Amino acid sequence: MMLCRVDGNITSTVKHPTATGIRFLICQPIAADGTEIGAPTIAVDTLGAGLHSRVIVTTDGKYMTEVLKSTKTPVRNSIIGIVDT
Amino acid sequence: MRLGKVIGKVTLSRQVDSFTGGRWLVVRPLSREALAGAAPTEPSLVCYDRLGAGDGNIIGYVEGREAAQPFDEDTPVDAYTALIVDTINYTPPKKS
Repeated sequence: MMLCRVDGNITSTVKHPTATGIRFLICQPIAADGTEIGAPTIAVDTLGAGLHSRVIVTTDGKYMTEVLKSTKTPVRNSIIGIVDT
Repeated sequence: MRLGKVIGKVTLSRQVDSFTGGRWLVVRPLSREALAGAAPTEPSLVCYDRLGAGDGNIIGYVEGREAAQPFDEDTPVDAYTALIVDTINYTPPKKS
């Protein structure tokens, strides 16, 4: 799991059919002190994370197959928690 | 999923049967700097595509085991185009 900062969002009309109706956020992996690590990644948000909030992103694709109710989805990353402190 | 810019495509004369119906895109991954407006510099990769993305489009592609999940049979694929991006709102916090 990665600690990330929400740096924006994307919209898409043409996408894999299993990925309709979900929110995609641009998540920047960060260290505990806030320095960026590597390239931003796109994660599914089911919790309602806001811009610049810190979140925990999992790369568990099996969890996405349960959320999207399809074993054929290519989507992998998802936000599983919003960080308080 | 990562974002990448389509910079070309690949055509194959023969390919594994389960790839039938798709296309192959040459994609340059977007780094932090590229999302903020700089020219993308990362090494490009080849992505399988069934959505019809064209040159200059920004796509979201998935790597790893999940890239093979949309196929009905076990398929040797590394990168799969999951979506074509319409708009990107990228506003990282300003450094103080």
